[in-house]
Amino acid sequence: MAQNTRLFSSIPPLSILRSSEKCHHQSMATFSTFCPSNPVSLSRPSSIFHHRCSSRFLNRIRSMSGSSDVREHFGGSIGFLGLGIMGTPMAMNLCNAGFDVKFWNRTQGKSNQLTEMGIKYMSNPAELASTCDVTFAMLADPESAIEVACGINGVASGISAGKGYVDMSTVDVATSKLISEKIKENGGLFLEAPVSGSKKPAEDGQLIFLTAGDLSLYKTVSVLLDVMGKSKYFLGEVGNGASMKLIVNMIMGSMMASFSEGLLLSKKAGLDPDILIKVLSEGAISTPMFSMKGPSMVQSTYPTAFPLKHQQKDMRLALGLADTVSQPMPVAVAANELYKAAKAQGLSDHDFSAVIEALKSELATS
Amino acid sequence: MEVGFLGLGIMGKAMAINLLRSGFKVTVWNRTLSKCDDLAELGASIGTTPSAVIKKCKYTIAMLSDPEAALSVVFDKDGVLEQISNGKGYIDMSTVDDETSTKIFMAISKKGASFLEAPVSGSKKPAENGQLVILAAGDQELYNEMVPAFDVLGKKSFFLGEVGNGAKMKLVVNMIMGSMMHAFSEGLVLAGESGLDQQTLLDVLDLGAIANPMFRMKGPAMIQQSYPPAFPLKHQQKDMRLALALSDEIHVPMPVAAAANETFKKARRLDMGDLDFSAVHKAINQ
Repeated sequence: MAQNTRLFSSIPPLSILRSSEKCHHQSMATFSTFCPSNPVSLSRPSSIFHHRCSSRFLNRIRSMSGSSDVREHFGGSIGFLGLGIMGTPMAMNLCNAGFDVKFWNRTQGKSNQLTEMGIKYMSNPAELASTCDVTFAMLADPESAIEVACGINGVASGISAGKGYVDMSTVDVATSKLISEKIKENGGLFLEAPVSGSKKPAEDGQLIFLTAGDLSLYKTVSVLLDVMGKSKYFLGEVGNGASMKLIVNMIMGSMMASFSEGLLLSKKAGLDPDILIKVLSEGAISTPMFSMKGPSMVQSTYPTAFPLKHQQKDMRLALGLADTVSQPMPVAVAANELYKAAKAQGLSDHDFSAVIEALKSELATS
Repeated sequence: MEVGFLGLGIMGKAMAINLLRSGFKVTVWNRTLSKCDDLAELGASIGTTPSAVIKKCKYTIAMLSDPEAALSVVFDKDGVLEQISNGKGYIDMSTVDDETSTKIFMAISKKGASFLEAPVSGSKKPAENGQLVILAAGDQELYNEMVPAFDVLGKKSFFLGEVGNGAKMKLVVNMIMGSMMHAFSEGLVLAGESGLDQQTLLDVLDLGAIANPMFRMKGPAMIQQSYPPAFPLKHQQKDMRLALALSDEIHVPMPVAAAANETFKKARRLDMGDLDFSAVHKAINQ
């Protein structure tokens, strides 16, 4: 069983209480590829596998919440859609905190850790949403988010009054509003909740949630957000969370592109790029991202914490947002061209710091 | 230790004061001589020309605004070259291109003196607080002799090898800073245009992987459209230009820096040159 020593950010540390029940699996769950061209039939009833929460643990959570807000603690069941780089550690944190969690993922075998825990999958998002009080989603892009929420056997088909859908995927405003409408049409509550932070913060439960939508749902899931993250914001109407996330990632993408220019320039000018990294760390633009990513970039390695293709998607969506308000963004535009070039070089699945390769390639042809 | 100090602008004045307060004997010069008066009150001697200062002092530091001023102080009448000689050291802490620095280095060396370029990273407040980062290159012996002064002026100094390396390192750092400030400005403007709370954006940025002192320090004033000069925009634009010229020489593509520089140029055209370089934020939509 995977170790998780970090549970709550806003509650004082408590020793880990292991679930007293082991997870058991009764039969193989079916896996379905979820895409509109292959309409998914309702599969034969699969067993529902979840990590049972020990009541001793839950009572301890309740006693430690201490807030006068009635919905501070959460005793219901949780669905989790999307077990990629982010979804897997986030779901595991919920699991290890003792919550009752069920899963669905488009492709089989995405998560070895969860398989080791004996966790298996639900057959489709609709089934998950109908059986859980709150369903979370962590998907790659607007297309996946819409499919999962609004497609055949999607969340909207299974959700009903009193149930909540929290979409943590990073999407554009129009997509989020579309999903919100569809969920509400079917009686559910909706909260967009994209996160700031990549793989390691996800593992460490140190994400930042930028939520917007239904305030009551936000309050209901607050304790769950606190398991997965270190801070959370409620920003008002649907679209505000999406916009905030895109703007943050746009700044990040431009900064990484500029940092890449600096590393390459220093090297070609006869300086030691590792010393540039040290100099930067001493001054006004000392940034965790530079210190963390710089050394591997100097070695031309880009271990994936945040895939370049997703960073480029975020730049594109941010520029789309800027377009809707006719806002010039010359640096973001220039940076986006580099990410596109890097994708064309086949670097989509590398860490987004691989954008430096796009500059090197231009150098080679000049 | 006794040092000469040429140039009492935003940076030079604060630096000279730190040296005086730490017990150094300082002889100052400034193109507008009246600016020396405040320093004289704190115990500095005044030199009426750069050459007068050089004559008096074994070590002289210069802190000038740009390549033109740096060259002028050395090569013009009553300049450094008239009195510099064997046994003396000249430490130019101005931010210039490596060609200018090399020119000065060669002229100083011809006179038998030693030369150190030592541009700094950090603006007004770090200068006042002795928290500069010093990027030195050139004569290593002179560097060692200047360490007591550098320890007063800064929190860290680097010796980067041959003349030109300090200048280049400084330009690279400031190029990244200029692009970052532009990206930050784009984000703030877009947030405002999208109906988001800009302070919330600042708070979110400060929690994550791209948190940095510059955003923290400048953000709140930028939201208020206030740009009190700690680092004048005209100097930032000069640094972007010099960095791009360097990249041009060695054929390194810099699309982001080039884009940022366009707005800095626009800002200068709009007479924002003497505002803090964060005023690029205002120039984006002008």
